[in-house]
Amino acid sequence: MEDQDYIMFEAYLSGDLSADELNAFNERLNTDEQFQKAFKMYRDLSSHLEHNITNEQESADFKANLDVISNQYFNKIDDPIGTTTDESGKSNFYKYAIAASVILLLGIFVFNQFNTPTYKDYNNFEPISLTVRSSDNAIFNQAEQSFNAKNYEEALVAFNSILEEDFSNLEIQLYKGIALVETNQFEEADDLLKKLSQGNSAYKHKAKWILALSYLKQENKLACIETLKTIPKEAEDYKRAQDLLKKLE
Amino acid sequence: MSDKILHEDQKYIDGLAENNTFIIQTIYDKFAPKVINYIKQNSGDVYDAQDVIQETIITIYNQAKQKQLQLTCPFDAYFFLLCKRKWLNQLKKANTKEVTINEEILSKEEDAQVLSFESTVFENKEALFNEMFQQLGEACKELLKATFKIKSMEEVAKSLDISYAYARKKKSLCIGQLTKLVKASPKFNQLNY
Repeated sequence: MEDQDYIMFEAYLSGDLSADELNAFNERLNTDEQFQKAFKMYRDLSSHLEHNITNEQESADFKANLDVISNQYFNKIDDPIGTTTDESGKSNFYKYAIAASVILLLGIFVFNQFNTPTYKDYNNFEPISLTVRSSDNAIFNQAEQSFNAKNYEEALVAFNSILEEDFSNLEIQLYKGIALVETNQFEEADDLLKKLSQGNSAYKHKAKWILALSYLKQENKLACIETLKTIPKEAEDYKRAQDLLKKLE
Repeated sequence: MSDKILHEDQKYIDGLAENNTFIIQTIYDKFAPKVINYIKQNSGDVYDAQDVIQETIITIYNQAKQKQLQLTCPFDAYFFLLCKRKWLNQLKKANTKEVTINEEILSKEEDAQVLSFESTVFENKEALFNEMFQQLGEACKELLKATFKIKSMEEVAKSLDISYAYARKKKSLCIGQLTKLVKASPKFNQLNY
């Protein structure tokens, strides 16, 4: 194809051909097979570039979201608890252990009923795991270890450098939110968590829960209640949210 | 294809394009088990299945985003075939050990065969386009990134300090250059042009 042809393709795609030019273009498209093939490829490439460059952020959000959902799904089916059919003494031990911890939890629950809830009652965050799929990456390792060791200052440094490379990593954004709340950087934490909770990712409900905890820590009871009320039934933290809500109201 | 009636399962395609969390979760809940089973029975493990499913969903997303995917068959059949083909291709590539493939009776859905094949071609196309884009000259890369990011050609011209007419001409020639690179690639024959 000649340069002139490519210029025509572009003009056609952006709707800039005059009626006469358009007729001539369509005529050639129908009669000249090479021209038609070249145009199809030009059109596909243009659409490809548009999708990849214009929607870069959108695609990154999609992939991040997909990653979470995929991991949630596969962790669930990998989870040996619930699938074990082990009936040995070991499993009896677990039964007693579970029973004991239920009693303990009930005790804590009843005890807490007479107390004003505080942030400390709820900040027992589960350990995070960032290195399963990117074990070669030192910075992910450092982030994971610092966070799990509750060394939130150091975790923040690691999260920030991860986000510098990959600013749309929503999972890291969420953990950063937790670390900010832990280190009392409420303004930045609340901004970040609000953004996440208004988004459409798998983290949105988790972000609401952490935001509510942030308000609890700031002793902003009203904002905490308002935020807790936005956590829907299907959310993982729904029960905890309702529990906290009862105590606050 | 265009005169065929859309299947109601198009909702999964549209949901993916909208990054709808609920739809994505539903796809996993409803359609992943069959794929996992298949891969486990054919020399793979659950981690392979996780990767295959994730890559397949990204392909469907990319295709849906470019409005090139209209489902005329059940999602189930389409999705399974696409995952299956991806897995078999990976096995062929790795080719390290004796591969045992348990052929089972496939869905007789012709549409599913056709659509999943088109998606595989689409995926190959995307991969080759990405590869060739990297081979473009820096000036072209920069200009294309700017034109597709900024949209208004006037602003692009201003930001690159060139005239509007030149920016536009340059854009078409750069894409033209890209079509030549794609055509010259040995992988071009797999693309059905």
